[in-house]
Amino acid sequence: MKLFIKFDINTICSLYLKQKLEEEKINFTTLGFGEIELNENLSTEALDKLKNNLSPYGFEVVENQKSVLVQKIKDAIIELVYMEDSNNYKSSVFLAEKLNHSYGYLSNVFSEVTYSSIENFIILQKIERAKQLMLVNEMSLTEIAFLLNYSSVAHLSTQFKNTTGITPSAFQRIIKKRREYLK
Amino acid sequence: MNWIPKFNSSNSLRVIFVIAIFILLFLSSVAYKHNRDLNETSKLVMHTYEINIQLERLMSAIKDAETGQRGYIITRNERFLSPYLFSRDKVNTSFIALKKLTADNPKQQKNLQRLYKLIIQRFVSFENCLKYSEPKSYDKRRLDNHMFGGRILMENIRFQVDEMNDIEKKFLQSRLKKYDQEISLGPVFSISLFLAALSFILLAYRQISKDIERLKVFNRKLLISSGLMAESEKIGKFSTWQWDLETNKIDYSDNQFRMLGCEPGDFVPVKETFLEFVHPDDKEMIAKSMDDIIENETLPFVYYKIIRPDHKIRYIKSTGKLLVDRNGSKVLLGINFDITDEHLLNIQLKERNSELEKSNKELASFNHVASHDLQEPLRKIQTFISRVSDADKALMSDSGKDYVSKIEVSAKRMRVLIDDLLMFSRTNTTKKEFIKSDLNELFENAKVELTVIIDEKKAIITNTKLPKLHVIPYQIEQLFINLIGNSLKYSKPNVTPEIAIECSKIHSAEYPELLDQAIKKFYKITFTDNGMGFDPQFKETIFVLFQRLHSKTDYPGTGIGLAICKKIVDNHKGYIIADSTLDQGSVFTLFLPE
Amino acid sequence: MQKNALYILLADDDEDDRLFFKDAFEEVRVQTQVEFAFDGMQLMEHLQQPDVILPDVLFLDLNMPKKSGKECLAEIKQDQRLKNIIIAIYSTSSSEEDIEDTFVQGANIYIKKPSDFNDLKKIINEVLTINWHYQTSGLNRDNFLLRL
Repeated sequence: MKLFIKFDINTICSLYLKQKLEEEKINFTTLGFGEIELNENLSTEALDKLKNNLSPYGFEVVENQKSVLVQKIKDAIIELVYMEDSNNYKSSVFLAEKLNHSYGYLSNVFSEVTYSSIENFIILQKIERAKQLMLVNEMSLTEIAFLLNYSSVAHLSTQFKNTTGITPSAFQRIIKKRREYLK
Repeated sequence: MNWIPKFNSSNSLRVIFVIAIFILLFLSSVAYKHNRDLNETSKLVMHTYEINIQLERLMSAIKDAETGQRGYIITRNERFLSPYLFSRDKVNTSFIALKKLTADNPKQQKNLQRLYKLIIQRFVSFENCLKYSEPKSYDKRRLDNHMFGGRILMENIRFQVDEMNDIEKKFLQSRLKKYDQEISLGPVFSISLFLAALSFILLAYRQISKDIERLKVFNRKLLISSGLMAESEKIGKFSTWQWDLETNKIDYSDNQFRMLGCEPGDFVPVKETFLEFVHPDDKEMIAKSMDDIIENETLPFVYYKIIRPDHKIRYIKSTGKLLVDRNGSKVLLGINFDITDEHLLNIQLKERNSELEKSNKELASFNHVASHDLQEPLRKIQTFISRVSDADKALMSDSGKDYVSKIEVSAKRMRVLIDDLLMFSRTNTTKKEFIKSDLNELFENAKVELTVIIDEKKAIITNTKLPKLHVIPYQIEQLFINLIGNSLKYSKPNVTPEIAIECSKIHSAEYPELLDQAIKKFYKITFTDNGMGFDPQFKETIFVLFQRLHSKTDYPGTGIGLAICKKIVDNHKGYIIADSTLDQGSVFTLFLPE
Repeated sequence: MQKNALYILLADDDEDDRLFFKDAFEEVRVQTQVEFAFDGMQLMEHLQQPDVILPDVLFLDLNMPKKSGKECLAEIKQDQRLKNIIIAIYSTSSSEEDIEDTFVQGANIYIKKPSDFNDLKKIINEVLTINWHYQTSGLNRDNFLLRL
């Protein structure tokens, strides 16, 4: 038997992090995805212990302020891409309002830390969403182009190809074949 | 088989003959009966006349006796008495004859009896007359009495004779009448019967002569067709044989003898003769299949060799069948084909095939060599050149810098050539996986691939709806890329390139010279551009590998692009043609089978 | 992004290619540690050591003696411990067949070896960036296909 499971990685991570912190008996408040505020000051020793306990699960305590901001930008972008009415927003405005910084500043910090631009990241996320819609929801390219605010199917195809190096139809074909092959 | 004559008239003929014979038999029996009747009647007439004569004779004898007696009485001459004396014998003779003649008639016998009595009385009267006329005993009164009595008796006798004659005559007449009645119907009836029989026979004759005519025609046809058969056996290099299992007689067709390297009729074939010709390698197998055929009633194709008397080996293919005819007799029919030429050709073909396979393998390995071993050093040359940094170049002499850039250009050109060549050979060698694909999607993919140059030239590309077809998807994509790319490359400077793609469904009969008529429906896809076009005289050569219409420096290219298009279309059992007017643009037309 | 340097492993039998690769990584802004296997056999032996550190990205040449890249790919995808490694095919071949086959067999990235050193640097940058996004931004790695 084979099941296809659709999951939201953000929810899983939040839940898991919460569990871990509760295990450590740490008093905390969640501020947003990947951001928590500790209600007490931890000793350096306790902090190190927490870091060590979290690292095997891929959690990493980000200490650098800029990295924190980048993480926030990423979260905001993901939120935007997955929003039902994302068509109503211009991404630069959305990010500036959401994070209380000018878009120029955000953009600079982002490329400084990731060596890639916010625009590229948005495209990457949109294409990722498109892949998901294509594979899980089995939507047509026309529907996806509309949902993700592309001016045309051609535009979506072009961006897909530019980002992944392959066309949407080839992508679909390959993933289908791969599922068969790995079965 | 229509040409076999049907003589169904034979049955009716038989009936006609039987009827005619019956009529004739009947006629002859009737004739025989008539004949017998006639005979009887004439016998009867004779009989009647005989009685008549005898009666007359009787009468005359009595009369003679009377005359003699009278004469004696008058003359007393003894000589007159002799007829009287003889008459008594004559009467007796006639009387005996009459008795015999009337033996079958009781009535006449009775009359005869009566006559006899009368005659006896008459003779008594004669005696008495003689007695009383004798001079010694003369008695006139008594003599007169007896004379008168004799006279009356005489009357009675005559009367009696007449009566007997009448009876006979009446009998004869009634017989004649009956006979006439019978015979009067006869002639008409016989003649009509005879005519009927005659007409039946004529009819039969006509039928027979007609059948004979038909037989002649069919015979001629049969002769022709058997001649044809013999000829066609010669030309078609086959032969036939028949083996009657009842009589164990084997018949070879003429060509069978020739096939075995002999002249027709050189020997009388028996079962074993054929095996003598079979090559030792196959003898056992053929002997077995000969036995099998009787059991299985059919012989599947067997392939074997024979050796002719002149030691030449021929390759033969045979098949046969057991036929059971209406009478239940079994006949084996067989055909032998001389397949030596085909066999040798086949061997040749196989050799060529394996050669081809070998060269194909070589080509594939060449492809591999080209794709890896040739590409690798070239790539390294290019990479190393790219690693010559600007700082390095600054230290070089001008000519050194020039040489480096020339190496770069040449290496680039070689790269393009190798890539294109690879693509060309790959369109042939890679596995051909036909998938039902939406050509619209492939077309979009092609445009995506060309985005940069389309944007750069601000080209306008329009298309009508394309079909879904079973194709090798990336090859069709490549085809679209090459065709659109070609149009973009040879666009007119300072004119916005416009490319229109149109698709319609057509019937192959609309292009009888071009399309494979075995495939009925094609999609016709045209690529029309407003580019520089080309001289129409080159419309076929542009699809040939390495054919270029422009110089390398003006339009870089390898002359492989359109050859690839042609190959891809060939792979899809389709067609591609090009047409153009110089400076007016070109039209490339694809025909892809539905 | 700078937890530790990214650990990159390249399996390629060609010395020059290894050299280009090493040089290109040195000029990339992301901090990396690059190691090499000289052929497929050596690569698999290395990966199958019990306490081996698994690479963040494994670059795999297809045309190698002893064991080809495709064989290595198949073996890695069969191995429960190794199957999650991000695999980048790094080959001279641009055949559609090779590309599709390796993607189907589970490769994430297909790189046609470029013939320009600067292109190589660009490609490596892109691979590292996207790969990093995939590892840090909750992207589904099953759908990670990249052709360069």
